[in-house]
Amino acid sequence: MAPERRGRAVGRRTYLRFAGAATASAMLAGCLEGEDPDDPEDPDDDADADDVETDDVDEADDDVETDDDDTSVTITQGQFASTLDPQDHRETPTDNVILQAYEGLLDREPDGTIREGLATDWEYIDEEEGEVRFEFRDGVTFHNGDELTMEDVAYSILRVVDEDVGIVSPQADQLAGVVDAEPDGDDALVVTSDGVNPMVFNNFASYCQVMQESWTEEMGDEVGQDINGTGPYQLDEFTEDEFARFVVYDDYWGDEVEVEEVVYDSASESSTRVNSLLAGESDVVESVPPQDAPRVEDEDGTTIEAVPSTRVLFMPMRNNVEPFDSVEFRQAMNYAIDLETIIDEILAGFGDATGQPTLEGYTGYNEEIEPYPYDPEMAEELVDESGYSGAEIELHAPAGRYLGDIEIAQAVSGYIDDLPNVSCDLEQREFSSLADEILDGDLDTSPEFFMIGWGNTTFDASQTIIPWFGEGTATQAFVDEEVYGLIEEAQNEPDEETREGTLQETNEYLNEQAPWIFLNRQYSVYGISDRLDWEARQDEHILAREMGLQ
Amino acid sequence: MLTDRTKRNLKRELRHSLMAKVALVTAVLIFLVALFAPFIAPYDPTTQELAGSNLPPLGVSTTTETTAMVDGEMTRVEEEVAGTTAHPMGTDALGRDMLSRVIYGARTSLLVGIIGTALAAVSGVSVGMVAGYYGGKVDDGLMRFADIMLAFPALVLAIALIAMFGSGRLLVPDPWVELGLVADRPERFVFPGTVTLVVALVNWVWFARIARGEALSVRGEEYVKAARSIGASDSYIIRKHVLPNSVTPILVLATIQVAAIILLESSLSFLGFSGTTLSWGFDIAQGRDRLATSWWIASMPGLAIVVSVVSINLLGDWLRDALDPGLEGAGGGGGA
Amino acid sequence: MSLVRFVLRRVLQGLFVIWGVITVVFLLRFVTPGSPVDAVAPLDASPELRARIAQELGLDQPIYVQYFDYLFGLLQGDMGYSYISGTPAAVRVFARLPATIELAVAATLVALVFSIPLGVISATRRHKPADYAATSFSLVGISTPNFWLGIMLILIVSVNLGLLPTSRRPIGLLPALELLVFQLEVSGVRTWLAHMILPALTLGTYFTALIVRLTRSGMLDELGKSYVRATRAKGLPETLVRYKHVLRNTLIPIVTILGLQLGTLIGGAVITEFVFSWPGLGTLVINAITSRDWTIIQGSLIVIGAGFVIVNTAVDVLYATINPQVIYD
Repeated sequence: MAPERRGRAVGRRTYLRFAGAATASAMLAGCLEGEDPDDPEDPDDDADADDVETDDVDEADDDVETDDDDTSVTITQGQFASTLDPQDHRETPTDNVILQAYEGLLDREPDGTIREGLATDWEYIDEEEGEVRFEFRDGVTFHNGDELTMEDVAYSILRVVDEDVGIVSPQADQLAGVVDAEPDGDDALVVTSDGVNPMVFNNFASYCQVMQESWTEEMGDEVGQDINGTGPYQLDEFTEDEFARFVVYDDYWGDEVEVEEVVYDSASESSTRVNSLLAGESDVVESVPPQDAPRVEDEDGTTIEAVPSTRVLFMPMRNNVEPFDSVEFRQAMNYAIDLETIIDEILAGFGDATGQPTLEGYTGYNEEIEPYPYDPEMAEELVDESGYSGAEIELHAPAGRYLGDIEIAQAVSGYIDDLPNVSCDLEQREFSSLADEILDGDLDTSPEFFMIGWGNTTFDASQTIIPWFGEGTATQAFVDEEVYGLIEEAQNEPDEETREGTLQETNEYLNEQAPWIFLNRQYSVYGISDRLDWEARQDEHILAREMGLQ
Repeated sequence: MLTDRTKRNLKRELRHSLMAKVALVTAVLIFLVALFAPFIAPYDPTTQELAGSNLPPLGVSTTTETTAMVDGEMTRVEEEVAGTTAHPMGTDALGRDMLSRVIYGARTSLLVGIIGTALAAVSGVSVGMVAGYYGGKVDDGLMRFADIMLAFPALVLAIALIAMFGSGRLLVPDPWVELGLVADRPERFVFPGTVTLVVALVNWVWFARIARGEALSVRGEEYVKAARSIGASDSYIIRKHVLPNSVTPILVLATIQVAAIILLESSLSFLGFSGTTLSWGFDIAQGRDRLATSWWIASMPGLAIVVSVVSINLLGDWLRDALDPGLEGAGGGGGA
Repeated sequence: MSLVRFVLRRVLQGLFVIWGVITVVFLLRFVTPGSPVDAVAPLDASPELRARIAQELGLDQPIYVQYFDYLFGLLQGDMGYSYISGTPAAVRVFARLPATIELAVAATLVALVFSIPLGVISATRRHKPADYAATSFSLVGISTPNFWLGIMLILIVSVNLGLLPTSRRPIGLLPALELLVFQLEVSGVRTWLAHMILPALTLGTYFTALIVRLTRSGMLDELGKSYVRATRAKGLPETLVRYKHVLRNTLIPIVTILGLQLGTLIGGAVITEFVFSWPGLGTLVINAITSRDWTIIQGSLIVIGAGFVIVNTAVDVLYATINPQVIYD
């Protein structure tokens, strides 16, 4: 394969030189040879171009991906990482790959409670001003051997929140409120917000991976092609769109891990994933469709593990275009679909119906709200009332990203099309190009009506409501002044109970406004090899460091 | 356009060949099914019935096993289902009637196949005739360009062009529904515009080559020279003398091309590039994820493709055997 | 014309067609709706990045300058930088090439091994059951969409019988062979073979069917020719006549037709790769198209087109070497 290895990503400036060697490397395509993990780093890719070539020709030894190597685990997702830059994406499949090697300030237990990450201590300095202080552990090194500095952490935070530092990150609202970060001595950091920030620790426990400033700046455009993190695994081999292989990082600060090698790949067809699990080619596969689950259970050596996830599926309708600017029309779309039947028939019950953006169990969840009932007559009437009788709409939906996604989308578009006064078409999209359109921060380039799933691992309503309804966020798909006001109110409310009340009110308002067709809470349904000892997490993360081997 | 002699040949060959008879009948039947789809299809092919999803075809009974989440517990649900006359080909994952979908799918395939071939034939024959008739630089230039076109595999070129121009879906009102002759059937169907243009674009070269060869061979004939000497215009000569002589091989090629284009269209629909959701290729793609449990979803439309393409290829064999006495027995080149 | 001159002329023609392919692909950039930058830049590209791309494509220059820059770049193996995937297009295209070549060669082998004997049997046992079986097989074979065949093979062989893996290519042929040679480890080759069988059968079936048809009709033609009747009259044993003369004369035109059908083989490979999640050029092109990555599409088109021309030229040259009389045609 073309050598895209740790510290060896081919640079824009250097690949010309490499291209001559392409034929030689191409001969080794698909070769899965290992590389000495202690290979000294050389961040200067120019100097490396030559030894890439020779390395590759000499080194076609080592193991093949067969099951005789029992400390290696292969994980197959529906979608592969779109980039390796931890701060330039908004997708869980990308997180899953990246989080093997990058770490954040804080971390979460599988059940969601906050635990230590790179920081060991965290406290408010000034709650009113939103000023907090993190204390960091010693002995943390990046995979290139350099020690972690407070400047690196500050840089990583600013790279997310400050458009002038590094990139314009689509994750800015994940650290909503944060405006600055400054080192406080050698092992502490002070983070300031623009006022009260009740979500600050919660957000840092879910988001913001730490990168090395000098390395990131040097890599420039190629940050997305390589990894230099602080986590238990370091990147060994990476092929765009195909697979990433990680090996243990020997100088990791934390506990030793059992799994010594992790391979991530993807297959968008669920049948391909299931078959490769059954054939022993994969150890963990995600999104096993219910109809295939019995096959996995009946097979010796594999089981199904299902947990309700922190993800909600929905279909935003952009209210700055016709016919979705009419609240009656949007409500009609919700009445038009038989959500219960969809969940029972397509998902075999692996899903909970929703009627608000916030999931049950989250801060701000409004228990009073019921999902919209199935009422096609009502839907027809509301469409007439909206004045958009005869409307023709098109639903953009991804295939292979969420459990039953395209079938749910087909069913929804079928139900809407069944209304006598609306016709609906389905446009099947590739997830990453759909995500690109939605995430580019420009409302008008997003499809008018699409299907998406949103994972919110903070267990707080705000991290769903702000990204989708806040002003000017990357994913905003609904423009409403009243929601802006409610968000503002919640964000600046130090009192927990009052804040929760505001969030519940927001959910009620959003239920009435029907900015989305509310669908279901997703269930993570994994097929797992019995050689693994692993408990599925609610936040959908698949972390090799939490796996044990039988 | 056909001479009495060729008509006689066609009839004689038809009398002798059982395969030709079967093929002719099947092809005509498929054509009629596509034309009168709304009358023949038992249901609206787009109407879903989630409660009746994944029903097997008539004569098949299966035990479907599903792992379901019931009140927060994973439970194994077993259900014995048998095919019924209500859905002779079963239903798909959304409970849509497979028979109706297969019937409507014939429309897309034949429309693209016939219109695409017609476009390719008209453009290819014009180019080929001009190249062959004038010869020299015109010929060289056009044929080198044809060589370049041939260097791109049809499917690859087609998906690249669709990627550039989008799927170009045209919504065509269903004439029968429009006339009020049938109710509860889709009012419009999708005609994949780009796909049709693209299949013509990637297939015209074959027609150009044949037409050029024919034009080259006719060019030197005495009657053409004679026509020219009495002042007939080039376009008149091409239309009156060159073209009629080439009808036979072009007809044979066109038949084979309809088959090839149906295969190409189904491939493009299978990949999801054609913009229509009512096509055999698209349904096969839908059934792919349910192969292990509901095999009929992918199998039925596939069988429909094989049956129609086989019968059209047999028609091509029949035409060739009858029109081209130089070739004995069934054989010769296959699809392009 | 001497052989050398023929070869030279054929190679020049091939180079001309490759140049044409490149030119067509270059021009396609301007046919796309919108600016060429749209085709190359990610959807979320910043204005700065877009400006840089425009500069790199040389959009401020006259078209002929852009064109020569592009040609010159290609000569050095530069197919442009894919900003959507963040890699040079050449790296990705060449990384995928071996998988596609392996598949195409395996399918061709499948086709040759099965088709010629079938065609010969069919022609020599005309109107006997074997002939009917072979002609029916070949008719169905050229009429079956190969993606559907692939799916059915997966259903029957992998899902129902559990005999072979369903998809993907965990190891390439070369690394597998290296394992075998240097470590005497057969598992690599075994894995490779197990994953190769179904895709190769899927892709090879159409060609098997096609060659059976060609062999049969070609051979029937030859058997009816006067020299065969003459040889028979001389009393040579029937089988010798059949194989030595007839088969040779039948196979020669088949080689040329197969060269022309190479495009179909590559087109078929694209969709076969898609069905079997085979990491070759085909899946690369399809993914590039769904993610609208024009740089990769462009590079793949050139490699596919050039590959087609090279093999075709090689076939012609080989053909002329074996059978020098074509040179004088």
